[in-house]
Amino acid sequence: MIQDTLKARLNLNAVLRNLEVLPTLDEKAAEIIRDWSVSIRFRIRGDIAPRLAFSNGKCTYAPDAVDPADILLFLWSPAHLNAMFDNKANPIPLKGFSKLGFLKNAFPKITERLEYFLKPDEAALRDPDYVRVNIALSLYTGVFAVCELAQFDPIASQVIQQMPPGTLQLSVLPDGPEAHIVYDGQGHATAFRGAAKNPTASIAFRDRTIASRLFNGQLDGFGAVALGDIKLKGLIPLIDNTNLILDRIPLYLQ
Amino acid sequence: MKTYNYDKSTEWFKRAVKAIPCGVYGHFSPAPYVPIDAYPFFSNRAQGARFWDVDGNEFIDYMCAYGPMVLGYAHPDVDAAFEAQWRQSDANSVASPCMIELAEMLIDMVPVAEWAFFARNGADVTNLSVMVARAATNRKKIIAIKGGYHGTTPWMQAPGHHGVIPEDHEHLIRIPWNDIAALKQVIADHGDDIAGFIATPYHHPVFADNALPADGYWQQVTELLHKNGSLVIVDDVRAGFRLHMGGSNEKYGFKPDLICFSKAIANGYALSALVGTEALRVDAAKVFHTGSFWFCAGSMAAAMACLKTLQEQRGPELMAALGKQLTDGIVEIAANHGYTMKVTGEMAMPYLRITDDDNVMLQQNWCGECTKRGAFFTSHHNWFLSTAHTEDDIKHTLDICDDAFKALKEQS
Repeated sequence: MIQDTLKARLNLNAVLRNLEVLPTLDEKAAEIIRDWSVSIRFRIRGDIAPRLAFSNGKCTYAPDAVDPADILLFLWSPAHLNAMFDNKANPIPLKGFSKLGFLKNAFPKITERLEYFLKPDEAALRDPDYVRVNIALSLYTGVFAVCELAQFDPIASQVIQQMPPGTLQLSVLPDGPEAHIVYDGQGHATAFRGAAKNPTASIAFRDRTIASRLFNGQLDGFGAVALGDIKLKGLIPLIDNTNLILDRIPLYLQ
Repeated sequence: MKTYNYDKSTEWFKRAVKAIPCGVYGHFSPAPYVPIDAYPFFSNRAQGARFWDVDGNEFIDYMCAYGPMVLGYAHPDVDAAFEAQWRQSDANSVASPCMIELAEMLIDMVPVAEWAFFARNGADVTNLSVMVARAATNRKKIIAIKGGYHGTTPWMQAPGHHGVIPEDHEHLIRIPWNDIAALKQVIADHGDDIAGFIATPYHHPVFADNALPADGYWQQVTELLHKNGSLVIVDDVRAGFRLHMGGSNEKYGFKPDLICFSKAIANGYALSALVGTEALRVDAAKVFHTGSFWFCAGSMAAAMACLKTLQEQRGPELMAALGKQLTDGIVEIAANHGYTMKVTGEMAMPYLRITDDDNVMLQQNWCGECTKRGAFFTSHHNWFLSTAHTEDDIKHTLDICDDAFKALKEQS
């Protein structure tokens, strides 16, 4: 049950949320959504109901918005939503029947584009432009996933209890992407894209290649730290414990 | 002041990382060394209070091999004792009489000790101490301190670490240091099942200020635990023989049931010891615990020479005085540069932190600047004094500290 709930939250709040930035990173994605003017709510029975909206070439994702949406998709359970993400089940439309064509034909184009960038193969990782987008989306998925894991994963929720309050910044040098996580020291984390004003700790990747190799499991992180390819600063326990939480992601997302 | 470079260390590390996971693992991992380019990774030469890295840079060493070096590297009496025993017999198919002599020496020296058991590393005996406590009480639960460290066996690692499963912590209860109310609550909740309480004599976590026991803390702990039929274990692996030759508990005026020693016991030779009270002798005898190298006699001979020399030198008093001289000097120099340096813990193994930021980055940069000038300081862990450090070493170190503060000022 918790497994399904957490996976659903990761699929929505960490993965699907990337649709907000994908069009800013990828021209094809921008082209796909350019003329869209539609909003979609995913309502999971007894759980969250985030809203995704496309307008003027932009996408916004609100995990807890109450505004109405043009399309309302009902999911019986977190497991139902996860099955939808795995293309093994369909949601139940409760509103927006005239837009079912959009859902069937247009919307998958942007989610497929997102999946393309989040599930790299070796050939794709040789393309610098692909790597640029993959790194950004991987970083953002990671920081937002930390917040969900800290709340619902039994191990991560113990890990976060050991963490002091503070802000951890993650940066890919020389020009981004950047993201940061604010820990309140009481078991809660909040993630943001972009740089923090006054981080308590920071991880900086020397360049995109280093970040890409680490994110895609091709790099010994400890060795990279010693060689200066990954620079750590500040309150190291924030970094150590965040890594422990990040390491839980593959248990839920493949 | 000239600063060091570490080209050869880096070259060695590139080789290391191909052959060894992490390159250098565990507490020697460079990961907490911030900024990383301020630190050496490899050394093949050490003498007295100094080591030289593979680039030939010389360091006054305030980490002392993270504690084992207490008389100075390559101490002639200790090395001679080791070598003599090693030439005679080290690994063997039966135990050496040397083991008995060392046990008798500890029984004479450590008031709590009425027997001694030897192993190789600190975790060997912290594990044994918990097994003895469980065997003696027929109970399961162990109380430990939040942030306390007793080795890397799974029951002692923090939740979430790789290779550790939730069941490893099933019978471990962590409470805050110096919190008698929390201890009383745990006893109220689990009294019948508490085998023992394990803690270091004072709280010396990493990345955080160290904390001495509050007045009467240990006395209340022992009273509450003993009243509950539970045992008190002091993990004196890090502090043992640096604070008091009779065990650090003597400094704080209490009597535990079991004490774990290692690190400083043999000035760098691999040895650990669990000592205990007469009441636990039979239970200790019943617990099966052993290791391939636990009977190697060279380390035991080295330990006897080390402890004898420490006694003769009044080592704990000397290290406390050197530590006070060092830390007083650093506090004053820091203030001269407009910084506030906080010193916590015991002076023989002090923890220092610049308090002018809330993220330890100033402290990291300053320790890095000191290290690049020849005073090996880490920012995440308490330092260690040894009896080999001299007043001249301290004076030179303070010159380094002064120059490092100037560099820190220039960076800001």
